[in-house]
Amino acid sequence: MSNVLRPYLAAVRSTLTAALTLENFSSQVVERHNKPEVEVGKSKEVLLNPLTISRNENERVLIEPSVNSIRLSIKIKQADEIERILCHKFTRFMMQRAESFIVLRRKPVQGYDISFLITNTHSETMLKHKIVDFIIQFMEEVDREISEMKLSLNARARIVAESYLTAFNS
Amino acid sequence: MSVLAPIICDNGTGFSKVGFAGNSDPSFVFPTAIATRGSSTQSASAPAIPSKPGHLASKRGVEDLDFFIGDEALANAKTPGYGVHYPIRHGMIDNWDHMERYWEQTIFKYLRAEPEDHYFLLTEPPLNPPENREQTAEIFFESFNIKGLYIAVQAVLALAASWSSNRVTDRTLTGTVIDSGDGVTHVIPCAEGYVIGSAIKHIPIAGRDISQFVLNLMRERGEMATVPPEDQLRVASKVKENYSYVCQDIVKEFRKYDAEPYKYFERYEGEHSVTGRKYSVDVGYERFLAPEIFFNPEIYSSDFLTPLPEIVDDVIKQSPIDVRRGLYKNIVLSGGSTMFQHFGNRLKRDLKLLVDRRLDASVLASGGVQKSSGVEVDVISHKRQRYAVWFGGSLLASLPEFYTSCHTKAQYDEIGPSICRRYQIFGSAT
Amino acid sequence: MILLEPHNVIIQSTLADKIIKPSSVDVQFVDYDGVRFHLSTPERKTVLLLSMHIRCWDELVRYGAIDFLKREYGSLLQSQPEPEYDVSLIIDLEQLPGSNEERDSFIMSVALLKRNALAAPFERGFTSQKGLESAGTGTGDLMQIHYRDEEAIYIQASHDRVTVIFSTVFSDETDRIYGKVFLQEFVDARRQPSIQNAPQVLYSSRDPPLEIRHLPNLRNTDDTGYVTFVLFPRHFANPTNASSTISHIQLFRDYLHYHIKCSKAYMHSRMRHRAAEFQKVLNRAKTEVATTEKKTVSGRTMLSR
Repeated sequence: MSNVLRPYLAAVRSTLTAALTLENFSSQVVERHNKPEVEVGKSKEVLLNPLTISRNENERVLIEPSVNSIRLSIKIKQADEIERILCHKFTRFMMQRAESFIVLRRKPVQGYDISFLITNTHSETMLKHKIVDFIIQFMEEVDREISEMKLSLNARARIVAESYLTAFNS
Repeated sequence: MSVLAPIICDNGTGFSKVGFAGNSDPSFVFPTAIATRGSSTQSASAPAIPSKPGHLASKRGVEDLDFFIGDEALANAKTPGYGVHYPIRHGMIDNWDHMERYWEQTIFKYLRAEPEDHYFLLTEPPLNPPENREQTAEIFFESFNIKGLYIAVQAVLALAASWSSNRVTDRTLTGTVIDSGDGVTHVIPCAEGYVIGSAIKHIPIAGRDISQFVLNLMRERGEMATVPPEDQLRVASKVKENYSYVCQDIVKEFRKYDAEPYKYFERYEGEHSVTGRKYSVDVGYERFLAPEIFFNPEIYSSDFLTPLPEIVDDVIKQSPIDVRRGLYKNIVLSGGSTMFQHFGNRLKRDLKLLVDRRLDASVLASGGVQKSSGVEVDVISHKRQRYAVWFGGSLLASLPEFYTSCHTKAQYDEIGPSICRRYQIFGSAT
Repeated sequence: MILLEPHNVIIQSTLADKIIKPSSVDVQFVDYDGVRFHLSTPERKTVLLLSMHIRCWDELVRYGAIDFLKREYGSLLQSQPEPEYDVSLIIDLEQLPGSNEERDSFIMSVALLKRNALAAPFERGFTSQKGLESAGTGTGDLMQIHYRDEEAIYIQASHDRVTVIFSTVFSDETDRIYGKVFLQEFVDARRQPSIQNAPQVLYSSRDPPLEIRHLPNLRNTDDTGYVTFVLFPRHFANPTNASSTISHIQLFRDYLHYHIKCSKAYMHSRMRHRAAEFQKVLNRAKTEVATTEKKTVSGRTMLSR
């Protein structure tokens, strides 16, 4: 992990851990409903101040806490067209399988690439610090995966071009 | 320019049938096997994550193109470094990485089609989870950019294939399908194009078991003594394919054979696959005993004892009452192991017997007051039975409605893989 | 499989089968670039009729395709093709060469029908280059082959080279971006010492190269690109060289698209692997819940959802 990345992730980790103080909270608007307040947004008094942690203009994390749920959205670094498309493919692939990634949201929040929604049920049935670990590890690896994918795409393209052109020699 | 023929791809557990719509036979039939680099044991996951940044210029990075499919895969099974995998288990796709590459080579090497120009019709087993369908759509639309996709249930295609029989007058998608391939036999009731999932039954007797049974019989008689051991199973399956038929009465048949053995015994001539040495075996009672294991399973297995006609009857009795008549009236055979001569007639006779006996009993129980008008039982055999599923696909995909029933690339881009959860029936007259 | 093969596998395997065991047949199939084939036995089981439809047939005829096919297939070529098709060959299974090798090479030559039909303009380009070479200057005619709906090949000979230009269109955004990476590598790959002898490759997006800039109705959109191959005389010095160059360059577009698709498939398997890894990490967060199976009185298992 590079030294620049470490403080960024550390900041996300501590903010997220602090924000993950959730409790069961029934809807004040509709009777017998219990919904993630951060998604509903109907009762302003249970929403806390959203917080953005930025590493630079291209990479940032938005944490929106509320009384019974928090929403965490990540904007992933995309330096060029290739990284943009790879990132899009990868996040979409993950979100397609959101069912098995319990805390993953099926759609990202506007302006971000991928979002997670953690509710009080999640924090009760799963170990809180492990959820945080998962998200930090995701952030750590997603950058690496995308740059590796880009490298391997370039490597493949090189091999493919070489094999095609070499065949002219024979 | 006219639209290019849709591609029909029926990937079964044992064999894949691929070809173009409008033809009567698939262009390729080869084993659903893929031989890849690396041992076959570490198949579970771990796709090679190659290309350490240092080796950019070397050949590393395209290992995933180094594989063979179909017959070539089996031929390369012994090559050191390659391992053979079967990406489909029990009709369902088990290893998506392998399956994606399998399709890739099917399309580009064998069919030589640019997938962007074609519509595809794929098949799925009954009760395939919708997630699998979504993954299939993801591969075909995102990797291959195909024009449109239709995923059909195999049993429904088998019903459609029976429309080619001249005994079928109305093109209905209601009926019972008996699909017997190499590994397992299914009895699947369909009502108006939808599978009645709760009533499906499986029979653990299929092509492989029949070959084994023939082998056992011939070994017992001592015929196999001259045949080299590695060829024995192959000889048995040849005997099954070329000489077997279904008889109407075993006892009579035995008597016939004993009275005039020279008339009924056949000779099979073979050749050793390696040395070329010739040998020949007599083919006798196994000619009619082989398919008999469907009707009297006790002669082969000790743990599965229900005859096929009874299973079919049970399946139909478990289906909703309002479609039962349709199910009895249209029993369709599909798959290589239903190809025996007179198989349909025998099944029809036995089933009719069961149904009539029940009707008579109910007449008796009502004291002769309530009379049934009778139930029509019919079993449809036709020429295209062996590749019935593929042929049904070919038939449906050459209808003009096919294009409107397909999920198109534009719809996929708009909505996502979940469009494949919707499944539209078309082509039937009713 | 890295390189694509120039012959059609269906023709090859069907012919090989029918030679051993003639039977009636009636199949339709395709090849790359919208080529349609129809193989049938209209009269007898031993006489096969193979017809091909190719989009740019009129253009190919103008560039001498018929002569080329006549040279290749001789009397097999029918003067009157089957309706709806452009070329027909009659193959009489009873009049095949006797030896196995000759037979195989005959089958192969039939399986190369599409390649041979498309080869004519290339060959014409090569011969006109030879003519111009002695003159020392000048350029030959610009030949256009619209082999797909939106894409075309342009061939022009000049005194020291033959230029082959492919126009490429990518229908999909992802394909376009992947394609760009691949094409850039085609341009750069020639710097490798081992492939110095390969044709020079140029790539430009949007702007058509000089040779074809004067043509009307060129598409000028973002997704259009032009790939130029500069073939030098050494690539077609002798007939074997020339024919392998032709087979090879014809398949350029299909080769490119094949590999774009393979890369996407590879990315998919990487993503599957990565998603499985993430899944493992997330599973560590789940607490172990002791699951006790609940049974009813009759011994059936109760399931709660």
